[in-house]
Amino acid sequence: MKIERVDLAARLNEMRKQGYTYLVGITAVDYVNHLEIIYFVRDLAKNTEDSINVDLDPSDAWVPTITPHFKSADWYEREVGEMFGIEIRGRRTDRLLLEKWNGKAAPLRKNFNWNEPYETMID
Amino acid sequence: MSTRINIGPVHPSTHGVLRLLVDIDGDRVESVEPHVGLLHRGVEKLVENRAYMQNMPYMEKLDYVAPLSYAEAYVSAVEHALGIEVKARAVYVRTVLLELQRIASHLLWLGVMANDLGQFYTVFMWAFRDRDKVLRLMEETSGARMFHVSMRLGGLQHDLPKGFEDRCHELLTYLEKQVDKYRNFLEKNSVFVERMQGVGLLDKERAIALGVTGPVLRASGVNYDVRSNNPYYAYDALGFEPQVRSGGDCLTRYDVRMMEIEESIRIVREALNALPEGSALGMPIRFALQAVQERVSVVKREMPRGECMMYLVADPQQPYRLHVRSPSFANLSALSEIAKGCKTADLFAILGSLDIVMGEVDR
Repeated sequence: MKIERVDLAARLNEMRKQGYTYLVGITAVDYVNHLEIIYFVRDLAKNTEDSINVDLDPSDAWVPTITPHFKSADWYEREVGEMFGIEIRGRRTDRLLLEKWNGKAAPLRKNFNWNEPYETMID
Repeated sequence: MSTRINIGPVHPSTHGVLRLLVDIDGDRVESVEPHVGLLHRGVEKLVENRAYMQNMPYMEKLDYVAPLSYAEAYVSAVEHALGIEVKARAVYVRTVLLELQRIASHLLWLGVMANDLGQFYTVFMWAFRDRDKVLRLMEETSGARMFHVSMRLGGLQHDLPKGFEDRCHELLTYLEKQVDKYRNFLEKNSVFVERMQGVGLLDKERAIALGVTGPVLRASGVNYDVRSNNPYYAYDALGFEPQVRSGGDCLTRYDVRMMEIEESIRIVREALNALPEGSALGMPIRFALQAVQERVSVVKREMPRGECMMYLVADPQQPYRLHVRSPSFANLSALSEIAKGCKTADLFAILGSLDIVMGEVDR
């Protein structure tokens, strides 16, 4: 299901109340002209799954955090945020998953420069 | 007054390169902060630049305790993307190999868990000896002890060798006896039991909220196992039963894993008896490049450590994007919540009971 990012937190909270209490994961794909961030949720009682997609503009990539509704989203948000250069707004902590990484480049985006020296990528 | 201590990244009980920053007050843990990323190899980026079959060894090294499970999940995702059907015999052979891999992985866990709890090296040696017997049997199918790279599109590289069934049955009978022996030995051992009983409690609601998976989730009373809820291969036909307990502590997680070994033994035995005739061989690599049928494939598998999800966006020659949702990542992210307020020594009992492999946490 495709939705706008402004509706994301509210929509996921609504789904959680309907029974989709388990967050399977969060991932993203860089389709060059747009980024797609995907949230997988599951209803354990009914054994059904659903996913929510949000399209983002690569130059203005941010989404609101969903950690108030899904505690388990914390590490997934950290990972997808730093790997794709997506800003996750409203998080309590902004510690990166990779400690030494300065978080400026987005390695899983398609325009990532492989040949850049390692020294310029760390703090 | 709290003291901050650093544990790891190189420490025998952190099972790899995991660094823990622990705030302790006396003997009580106030907070745990896992620092990961020290084994990050950028596998998700590397696979985008290599042909489908070239990625197999990368996938196997994600979880170096259960490599075959990852290879299978990856190959399944590619099969789904290319619209390739798995041969009837290969379905059963893969089930056999996956469950053997699970037994090997759980045995390794048992050995290191006993080590973490102060049962130095007795159980460790026993479990490793038995794990090696399983690995030696799996070696017959591919020539490699751990990193088989034996999965091929639609089947396997080699069929089972002559006499494999008999040797496997023999091993299963032996393992059944051994599991009984371990349970007898460990469950009558007050040190082993008391260090796990009531430690690291995680009730059903919290387990779901924290997103733990696999045996940890099932030990908290949640009946979810991909093999029964979303069956693949021969699990449905063989009547797979998920092992669910409701204790929620470390001892229950131990119990669930031991029951899973027993269930795996049963599944392997029945799969061998029901093994269909015919060929189990997969496609040679040069024929594997076909038209992409499904741009996006999502494949879920129950690994020894929990649920793995492969999210593959396919290009004709190589993956456009491959995301691996690894079970250890999900379980480790819950550590700081589970371990809050425990005793310092119990921290390692809890960490051990989560059964993490850093290779798949960092990827």
